[in-house]
Amino acid sequence: MGEKTIYQQLKEEGLSRRDFMKFCGLLSGMMGLEFVAPAKALGALARPDPARMVAEALESKPRLPLIWLELQDCAGCTEAISRSPSPSLVNLVLNKISVDYQETLMAAAGFQAEQAKLDTMKKYHGKYVLVVEGSPTIGENGVYCTIGGRSNLDLLKEAAEGAAAIIATGNCASFGGIPKAQPNPTGARGVWEVITDRPIVNIPGCPAIPEVTTGTIAHFLVMGQLPKTDSLHRPLTFYGHTIHDHCLRRPFYEAGKFAEGFRSEGAREGHCLYKLGCKGPTTYNACSSLKWEQGLSFPVQSGHPCLGCSEPHFWDGGGLYQGQSAPLDRPSLAAIGTAAGVGAALGIAMAGANSLKKRNAGKTTPPPDKGSSE
Amino acid sequence: MEWTDILRFFRGPFFAVSLIIFVGGMAYRLFRIILLGWPRDRVESRGSKAVGIVRTYLKGLVLFPFIPWVKRTFGKNSLTYIAGGLFHLSLVLVIFFATPHMLVWKSLLGFGWPTLPLPVADWLSAIGIVSLLVLLVNRLTHPVLKLITKSPLWLNWTLVFLPFVTGYVMTHHLFSRYEVLFSLHMMTVDILLIWIPLGRISHFLFYFFSRTIHGAQAGKRAVTP
Amino acid sequence: MNTQSAINTYVKEIGGWAASQLEACTRCGLCADACHFYQATGNPEYAPVWKTELLRRAYEQRFTIAGRLKLAVGLDKRVTDEDLKHWSTIVYEACTLCNKCAMVCPMGIQLGPLIHEVRSGMAAAGVVPGDLMSATMKQKEVGSPLGVTGKTWAERMEWIGDEWEVKIPVDVKGADTLVVFTSIELMKFPDSIAAIAKIMDKAGEKWTTSSNGREVVNFGFFKADEELTKLFLNRVFEAAKELGVKRIMISECGHAYDAFRWTAANIMEVPKGVAITHIAQVMHDFWKAGRIKLKKGIYDDGTITFHDSCKIQRRGGIIKEPREILKWLAPRSFKEMTPNKEQALCCGGGGGVISIQEADPLRFAVFGMKVDQMKEIGAKSVCMVCSNCRLQFTEGVAHFNSDVKVRGLSEMVSQALE
Repeated sequence: MGEKTIYQQLKEEGLSRRDFMKFCGLLSGMMGLEFVAPAKALGALARPDPARMVAEALESKPRLPLIWLELQDCAGCTEAISRSPSPSLVNLVLNKISVDYQETLMAAAGFQAEQAKLDTMKKYHGKYVLVVEGSPTIGENGVYCTIGGRSNLDLLKEAAEGAAAIIATGNCASFGGIPKAQPNPTGARGVWEVITDRPIVNIPGCPAIPEVTTGTIAHFLVMGQLPKTDSLHRPLTFYGHTIHDHCLRRPFYEAGKFAEGFRSEGAREGHCLYKLGCKGPTTYNACSSLKWEQGLSFPVQSGHPCLGCSEPHFWDGGGLYQGQSAPLDRPSLAAIGTAAGVGAALGIAMAGANSLKKRNAGKTTPPPDKGSSE
Repeated sequence: MEWTDILRFFRGPFFAVSLIIFVGGMAYRLFRIILLGWPRDRVESRGSKAVGIVRTYLKGLVLFPFIPWVKRTFGKNSLTYIAGGLFHLSLVLVIFFATPHMLVWKSLLGFGWPTLPLPVADWLSAIGIVSLLVLLVNRLTHPVLKLITKSPLWLNWTLVFLPFVTGYVMTHHLFSRYEVLFSLHMMTVDILLIWIPLGRISHFLFYFFSRTIHGAQAGKRAVTP
Repeated sequence: MNTQSAINTYVKEIGGWAASQLEACTRCGLCADACHFYQATGNPEYAPVWKTELLRRAYEQRFTIAGRLKLAVGLDKRVTDEDLKHWSTIVYEACTLCNKCAMVCPMGIQLGPLIHEVRSGMAAAGVVPGDLMSATMKQKEVGSPLGVTGKTWAERMEWIGDEWEVKIPVDVKGADTLVVFTSIELMKFPDSIAAIAKIMDKAGEKWTTSSNGREVVNFGFFKADEELTKLFLNRVFEAAKELGVKRIMISECGHAYDAFRWTAANIMEVPKGVAITHIAQVMHDFWKAGRIKLKKGIYDDGTITFHDSCKIQRRGGIIKEPREILKWLAPRSFKEMTPNKEQALCCGGGGGVISIQEADPLRFAVFGMKVDQMKEIGAKSVCMVCSNCRLQFTEGVAHFNSDVKVRGLSEMVSQALE
């Protein structure tokens, strides 16, 4: 096509071969290339070297066009990515490799920016990656979130139509996020509930871990397809284990040493935060293994219970500081009172009927027999 | 249908419904019995009924469960006494003093309390499971129990056994994903809550009637209950 | 046979008291091993919980939705004629209503009174063992289950007075205490009657017997026929009222104490200001008050033990009085059987069982356990304050060729009077 390959581009930007190979190694690690099958399918070596695979891909493939749509969002996922320390993998992937359109980060604005987006979509129809941040809203035909006078549903469908793959980043795009919390006034949904005819991967999290988003993009770049996912369309590489499974405080959980409060002795000792409402056991994400800020820390390590932010409905998951075992729906005192009252009333009625029976039995009992038994 | 959705269902609306049925059902049972008529006792007491009642509760709840071997009937029924006692001990301690359960109570009542270390609660629930199995075998082999046991009792055993087992498996993250195990545990707990008012498991309520009656009649006669 | 009468009786008589206890049962089966009939024979049908099965069925099938549903889907059975016949044998011949089962039940269920209630339905249906029925009819018609007429009674009392040289007052108006004896004492243990008379005289008590209220035994109570129970109680109450006594003293009888002291006021109008006492209490009170003096240690001639009668000790509360007397009379020789007091083992003759010939093998099988108890402590003699127990013991030791001497405490006390 006459387009420069990624490697060529990077070389032009001043990246040395050595740094390029290091980059490829890091990228392959970030992608979690444990899944050899895809690699074999691509006709790779008998014993694939992940870094080499990545290098070969970047050397042969042109730049990946990427459009980043923000719907009903807080831009937190974008902020997380852009706040990553530089120079970073994330920056390299996003700034150097892709991103034609990103509302928060791009310099352009207004109709020209929109036009640029439409041009990319036309030029690379069927080839570009669509990253969606923020939830689509189906309430009243999408009127609750409009950009440039057009409803978010419109924009999403338009962009999705020519996308090779869709990456829904953040809990909002994946599952609806905070806007979907009861009573969900805008009709927020996950992207996959609105677009059903395109390959979609969910990168939930609030925000999503930057390396997970970019790792998934990189996977698509290198492998030409989206990574293997679980039943909620989350890449197994990153979402195959719960926070609990890799949590550094797990030994305390097993020993039953819990922090009683945020200022307690246990908290200072770094005890398990189960009692403070940690949702680790049911939350699938890479926080406890990959961690945040390039492996610096993650909420539990810093002393705050996991909120379960990569799970659907986590805002309705029963209180952020409420024990994970607690029920999600509690009947109100009024409901319990009513139940007791109704039960009591029925019991009284039954007792009344039984008492009547007793009285009638008394009347019909014949006098005791005078003779003996047979 | 995802397991996360199933989990939400059994922790959420189904739990609320089962709790409501539990409360309503127990209220129904209670009032159905209470209002069946209690004629006044016109017999003059020799001793104090109240004293008899206090003594029988202390003996029945606090003393004898922990020294069952002093009872003459222990020899031929040691399995019933020991397994039955251990099961109840495990049940009470795990339901109220295991950390995850305490958090459930806290969410319902608004306050919590100190709990047992996880390994202790773990051992207790294991003891509960083993005791239940022993009691099952006992009921299948003891001549009197075979005679008096009808089908609802087997259901009682099963519906009590399942929450124990699923809870244990869940805590140890065995066999399957956590949300699957959690769902099964909540499902069995919810079903148990619905079943309790329907059968003999509600003996925990009627215990207070029979024990008080027993203590009163002994106290009245100035006999040790 | 009228099975519907039985069911109607249960429906009529089950109130909160019975219902809450029937609901409390967890089917643990521990009551079985408290029952001496089960212990002696190993027959699971003698488990107290099984004895109340018909009551449970009637209750559940009439008063509860669950019970009706179980019946509808075939998980439970109705009460049939055969059931009534079958259970009649069990509750009249394999149960003495000793209430040991209630002591062992983890829920504290009063199985004895519940089994009494089962009998009540049987009585209404006319399904009662023949021997018990005829004894009851005799008491109704003649005044005594042994068929002792008023005339015979008077003659026998006169003979006892002559033979033992004691004064036995009859129909004395204005006396303080009305003493009522049993036919068993009259015919089998007249020494007991003489003994009691002697004690009353020595204590200077203003006492009397009554020719109308002359029988303290209550076969209506055994049969669990409330009308007859009241009839037999009333004969004594009327006499008490007529003679203007301050108290009724029951001689050596167990179930009579239960019927008069712990049951009467709840089934009928009892005479006001008339206390109900038992000879065991009264002679203890006389002794403690110094109205009679007893020679110390006159029975120290071999280990002697005390048999607790179910209705006087466990269900009556008169536990320490006989022991205090015995410990005075035989300070070095008195030994307790194990178990004892409110945990004591029933003799096997109570509740009307002794009157039913078909029940003989059972009551002797049970009595074997008493023999073992006495052997265990090397007892040479045993005493008690119930003449029904005494009859069972007398026949029992003969049956087992035991040489243990069977005594009544009253006659021992009268021999020890100073």
